[in-house]
Amino acid sequence: MTCETSANLKRAGARYTRAMTAAALAYVAIVAIAVYTLDRFSPPHWTVIVLSLLPMAPALLMLRAYLVFTRSMDEFQRRLQNEALIVACAVTVFGSFAYGFLEEWAEFPHLPLIWVLPAFCMVFGVAHIVIRLRYK
Amino acid sequence: MRNRLKVLRAERNWSQADLAEKLDVSRQSVNAIETGKYDPSLPLAFKIAAVFGLPIEQIFSADDAAQAAE
Repeated sequence: MTCETSANLKRAGARYTRAMTAAALAYVAIVAIAVYTLDRFSPPHWTVIVLSLLPMAPALLMLRAYLVFTRSMDEFQRRLQNEALIVACAVTVFGSFAYGFLEEWAEFPHLPLIWVLPAFCMVFGVAHIVIRLRYK
Repeated sequence: MRNRLKVLRAERNWSQADLAEKLDVSRQSVNAIETGKYDPSLPLAFKIAAVFGLPIEQIFSADDAAQAAE
């Protein structure tokens, strides 16, 4: 099996925290630079597109850190992660789908798509806590 | 599935953390298996059997088999 011991898992957790912190700091810096550039200057359209996609780089680094961390987990912990991911996917996808109909037909206020990922992460966090408690 | 993990561990004076270390899994995983909330994969079941030095069937049994034996 490729799972690690509790001590190794703690080390993997520390590596995960370091990687996530570095990626989060890079994300804040990139967003700040992009907002400053877009506010102060009038860059050409292609530059605006590049600046808009730039925050994806640290976001993908966060995803990589998460995937590396899950590989250090044992089969039971990966099961908890999988169950939380399924719940988060279901709630976010069906929630945004339902809200789309409400926007279209019931004239609910328009919500930007940028909130889908934070909503997914929030639901994942709550689902993981609830699922962990179920197995206690 | 039922298992005798808790009894076997107690016989050897091992804590959940000790068993987790021997199995290369987290303590939470040992607890979930012991309480019957999680059934281990076949490779992990074999590893548990090897750690206790017993055949798998002396550690794990199907729910209906355990009921029939009672």
